[in-house]
Amino acid sequence: MIAKPEWFTRRKYLGWGLMPVTWQGWVYIAVVVLPLVLILTMDVVGTAATAFLVVWAVVFSIDLLDVMTRLPKDERDRIHEAIAERNALWAILVVLVAGVGYQAAADAVAGSTITVDPVILIALFAGVITKAISNVYLDKNN
Amino acid sequence: MENEIAFYRNKSGMTQEKLAELAGVTRQTIISLEQNRYNPSLLLAYRITRALKMAHIEDVFRMR
Repeated sequence: MIAKPEWFTRRKYLGWGLMPVTWQGWVYIAVVVLPLVLILTMDVVGTAATAFLVVWAVVFSIDLLDVMTRLPKDERDRIHEAIAERNALWAILVVLVAGVGYQAAADAVAGSTITVDPVILIALFAGVITKAISNVYLDKNN
Repeated sequence: MENEIAFYRNKSGMTQEKLAELAGVTRQTIISLEQNRYNPSLLLAYRITRALKMAHIEDVFRMR
């Protein structure tokens, strides 16, 4: 595709994604971001602008995902990434479950019908499915 | 586990970057190994031993 893995490294300390490590990486990010910034700040509206934004975002999202899958990683990088992502997941899970619990408790205390944000429940369910599939694959292939 | 990677690397006049390239890992991993902050897998231990042109893995790595 367009970007090359050697232009980037895995973002470790500020969220997820990629961090440019060469001038080519920074130029690539600027090229991706600049049209979006221009369209949004110039308040360009209309179907064409929206279509451009969508296509631009999709193309470069796919490109960056491709780079992320091709980033060279040795065994130590993989172990560190696995541990860090697992810790991040536990932090997210605790907050989500606490959030769901709080919502339900608040509704119960108020005497109203207990409602829970379905997006949170879907996210938790997606996590359970992903973990199950991952473990099936790992048990079978390792 | 302890290792003599730095000793044998310096003896052969190899840089950390070169050893990393030969072993298929990053320079940061070689640094962590030489500082005994990381225990390699058996495969990586063999790769490093071979990259250092050592005959036996036990000459490079040993249990504490």
